[in-house]
Amino acid sequence: MLSPTTLPDYMLRALLAAALTALTTFGLYLARSVLPTPVIALLFLLPVVISTTLGGLTAGILASIGSFLAFNYFFILPYYSFTVHQTQDLLMLGVFLGLAVLVSQLLGRARLSLAAARARERETTALYELSTALAGLRSEAEVARAVAERLAEAVAAAAVEVELQPGAQAAAKAGAKALAQSVRVPAAAPAGGAPPDFSLGLRTARARLGELRVWREARLTSADERLVRTFASQAALALEHVQLDRAETQARILEESDRLKSALLSSVSHELRTPLATITAAASSLRSGRVELASPAQADLLAAIEEEAARLNQLVGNLLDMSRIEAGVLRPNRQWLSLSEVVGGTLARLRRATASHRVRVHVSDDLPLVPADPVQLDQVFTNLIDNSCKYAPPGSTITVRAWQADDQRLQVTVENEGPAVPPEHLGHIFDKFYRAGPNESVTGTGLGLSICKGIIDAHGGRIWVDNLPGGFAFIISLPLSWAGERPPRLPPDPEAT
Amino acid sequence: MNRGPHVLVIDDEPQILRALRTILVAQHFRVSTASRGEEGLALAAAQPPDVIILDLGLPDLSGIEVCARLRTWSTVPIIVLSVRDSERDKVAALDRGADDYLTKPFGIEELLARIRVALRHASQAQGSRSTTVTAGPLSVDLVARSVTRDGAPVKLTATEFKLLAYLAANAGRVLTHRAILSHVWSDPVADQVEYLRVYMRQLRKKLEADPSQPVYLVTEPGIGYRFLADE
Repeated sequence: MLSPTTLPDYMLRALLAAALTALTTFGLYLARSVLPTPVIALLFLLPVVISTTLGGLTAGILASIGSFLAFNYFFILPYYSFTVHQTQDLLMLGVFLGLAVLVSQLLGRARLSLAAARARERETTALYELSTALAGLRSEAEVARAVAERLAEAVAAAAVEVELQPGAQAAAKAGAKALAQSVRVPAAAPAGGAPPDFSLGLRTARARLGELRVWREARLTSADERLVRTFASQAALALEHVQLDRAETQARILEESDRLKSALLSSVSHELRTPLATITAAASSLRSGRVELASPAQADLLAAIEEEAARLNQLVGNLLDMSRIEAGVLRPNRQWLSLSEVVGGTLARLRRATASHRVRVHVSDDLPLVPADPVQLDQVFTNLIDNSCKYAPPGSTITVRAWQADDQRLQVTVENEGPAVPPEHLGHIFDKFYRAGPNESVTGTGLGLSICKGIIDAHGGRIWVDNLPGGFAFIISLPLSWAGERPPRLPPDPEAT
Repeated sequence: MNRGPHVLVIDDEPQILRALRTILVAQHFRVSTASRGEEGLALAAAQPPDVIILDLGLPDLSGIEVCARLRTWSTVPIIVLSVRDSERDKVAALDRGADDYLTKPFGIEELLARIRVALRHASQAQGSRSTTVTAGPLSVDLVARSVTRDGAPVKLTATEFKLLAYLAANAGRVLTHRAILSHVWSDPVADQVEYLRVYMRQLRKKLEADPSQPVYLVTEPGIGYRFLADE
């Protein structure tokens, strides 16, 4: 049965054969007086050969039969009749028909095998291009897009759609809202809801991963269909690969976070217990009545309770900050800040903690305002100054400096006269739970500096450390623009006298 | 009979209520407590307190909501208690009528200072205000519109004085950026915090011994400013 799309094609070939035969007959008919009959018979092979070459085997056979009839009718005595009287004419006709059919068959077969070779070549190229395009893709959507694009090109399709079935994991996460994701090339729907001309499931041995749909004007040939199937199996493999890859990454992340969690737990439980032990001991001895009222011993114990409680509070704050940074929800609430105001506020708050050190501030009032979260920036300076107080010897100097590095950035340093950090440790100093050196006398969770880094990163800045001659420095570089805006320049004072 | 000022504490943590009650009673305050917002509002209506200490994290109503509802019928000073990192909530509560805030955990000296400031402002609102505010070497005369530092007059521009006068009249209380901006600059164009920062910087240069580490014109990060006067 012929489908509507192939009918004109068939008719075209038949028409071609008929036209060529008619044309040859007409030409030979005009020249029949000068040409001997055997030459005419030979020349009648021309339409057969040409029809086969252009129109394939069917056209060739049609041309053979047409030529045979025309030859018989016009050029074999008696003319204008299909009857044949002479044996030699009959023989000639027989040989002609046999030859014509043979030639058309040979030619037709050669043509077919050429077409098959071409199709195979096209297929190989398309598959090669697909595998190149699929290499290194990390997400299902990317794979789907690459497959859809390549396939649309390879089979000259009007549209190709790759629908991805939501993975079991994604479905569990999104609940009932998990929708099948689909990628379509071209993006605009040309078929307007028309059913696809060809569709195929994307399956691997383990699961069905989605569906491949093709829309095309012309019917898909068997070669095209084979190509679509190959694409589908390649796509399924690539999708599976992506999923396995992701599962592996997730497992690795889980393992890493497990490791961090146990490090956190051991660090936190130690850091929590120490102040709690001090508080419990101090409070119970005050209650016991063995400590003289209003004695230096009592004042000492009370101060210890207060200090240790403050330490616990700081620890809890650090843990909260860290979990926010980890969860990626540390969003700076930016305002245009005066750095000297921020640093001044931090130092005023830390006056007691820094009492054993000299603090110098070289932060000019005239620096441009910097877009930052006031509380978070205060936290950064608190942690850096606190760290300096812990590691630098009492009586040494801590210096805070700031200057405008260039048009885009403000640079701030917190310098102390603490011991140098071995170069191999410099790169790790902002890692979680990292404690430079075996300094057991220094307390802390090893979270303070990584929080600083988390905050500065969230501000689009950079923080690093360096050894100085006779000291150590934290260096912060903060961007001066915020969402493309430059620091506001304000008149010094319109009413200034 | 305890005749001290009446403090209403609204907080859902029994430990905090217990500690505050003990401490405040020892300081000769009359104390009532509520652990829920609705209960607190009812208590405030039944026995009007002189000051309310309100936790922002209540189980039924948000502290901000309680502030707003109290302000519809009462001018009683409200001090809100909150945790670090909730600057937005603090600002919201202050803009909805709270007078001051304290970040948990706080020292008792800090709390008592806030209560004293709140009570003083409440009594001033009813009676006569003192017209001169002093802070260390500084003296601000709100009526004569003059400022002296160590007895010597300090020259301020009109805007600088307006800003200082607003802070000094509310000495000890935190003032949010928005409150200051809308009070000092009626012009809505100037609704920018950075504008305020520049003026604060100038004021500090003229009034503070070390403008980089101010003692009287104090920054409350993310919230506003506070003028610390002598008590």
